[in-house]
Amino acid sequence: MNFDFDYCAPQTETELLDLLATTKDAVLLAGGTDLIVNMRSGLKKPTTVVNFKKIAQCHQLEFDAKKGLVIGAGVTVNNLLENKVVKEKFPVLAEACHLLASHQLRNRATVIGNIVNASPSGDLPPVFLCLDASIKLVSKKGERVVSLKDFFLGVKKTVITKDEWAKEVIVPAASADAKGDYKKLTRIKGHDLSLLGVAVVKGKGFLAVSVNAAAPTPVLVGRYAADVSMETVLSDILAKISPIDDIRCSKKYRLFMAQKYAKDIMKELAL
Amino acid sequence: MKKISIKVNGEMYVREVADSRILLHFLREDLGLTAAKEGCGAGECGACTIFLNGRVVNSCLVLAAEADGSEIVTLENESKDGSLSDLQKFFQKHQAVQCGYCTAGMIMSVKELLLRNAKPSVEQIKDQIEGNFCRCTGYSQIIDAVLDASGQLDK
Repeated sequence: MNFDFDYCAPQTETELLDLLATTKDAVLLAGGTDLIVNMRSGLKKPTTVVNFKKIAQCHQLEFDAKKGLVIGAGVTVNNLLENKVVKEKFPVLAEACHLLASHQLRNRATVIGNIVNASPSGDLPPVFLCLDASIKLVSKKGERVVSLKDFFLGVKKTVITKDEWAKEVIVPAASADAKGDYKKLTRIKGHDLSLLGVAVVKGKGFLAVSVNAAAPTPVLVGRYAADVSMETVLSDILAKISPIDDIRCSKKYRLFMAQKYAKDIMKELAL
Repeated sequence: MKKISIKVNGEMYVREVADSRILLHFLREDLGLTAAKEGCGAGECGACTIFLNGRVVNSCLVLAAEADGSEIVTLENESKDGSLSDLQKFFQKHQAVQCGYCTAGMIMSVKELLLRNAKPSVEQIKDQIEGNFCRCTGYSQIIDAVLDASGQLDK
């Protein structure tokens, strides 16, 4: 790398939170699959890089009928994908994980990183939005739990403050056993970002729809009663997304595919 | 600078590294293990694939400092006393190597798959190597080598 920084690897949460409270320009290192790319290209030049993965509890991945699914900040995408309970209770999540990048990257990339990165085209946010997930943020001042639908502020912008650590993702138990799909438009499997992605999830008494790569943030189109009509969903998609023309895809194609994927998944779910 | 101790191909190394040192560069330049290659430097091509604590990763996206205390395996571990491993021989037999740039990473990825799945399907092989670019073979020779290595190819 053509610049240097201080690398720290705190062993405890207290140490980590102290570091975040006192260091001016610290960035958190999770899987590094985005951060290190950005540092190597010179896009990011932090003075301090903080690896939190030595904190044992960050690797927690547990399901509890009360608390729901708790995914610690150190859990990788493949950890989630290979987890038996996730496959059984949250099959849509496993499916979305599988569509994310390549095998080696999934061995490093963390679930939380894919969310807090706040890329409009992140693969996991649509499914987590449909599952009504929240993020637990902790700092020296205390902790707060933010619903994912209030979490994203813009491209690469979230509600996280400088001194906060996104400690875990929580998926409520009420969303368990939901069925659905995440469809991702790409040119190449394994190396491509989503040009447009749609998740539709049907659970106990609800049907939720979310779209990525079609607005500055991932969009939760709506959480409806389970028998919502296709017309309502399709017109809400058009009303709530605001795709642009860019180097990857045209606005027109994105609008078309968002509706097509939603229609396809809803038809699959009706079977 | 950080002092790191890491086990590479069964051997312990203790070295000083700059905090920003990339693991791939450390392996190639400090330890002289040049099998893992730098292709894209951004986690896309997989030429730098190595085992880190039992899982394959892109070593271009890992800090050497972060690998402190970990166990690494590279392609250098495959051949023993100058003779190729079985997996390498199957790559040779099926001409799954042309320019060779992807091969070190490719074999690491395939090895991880075979360690957890003795008889992978073609789909599973494709899935495993989706992060390893090969611009020579068109992949079919590589897939054949893996099928043969797992005893699934009729002669």
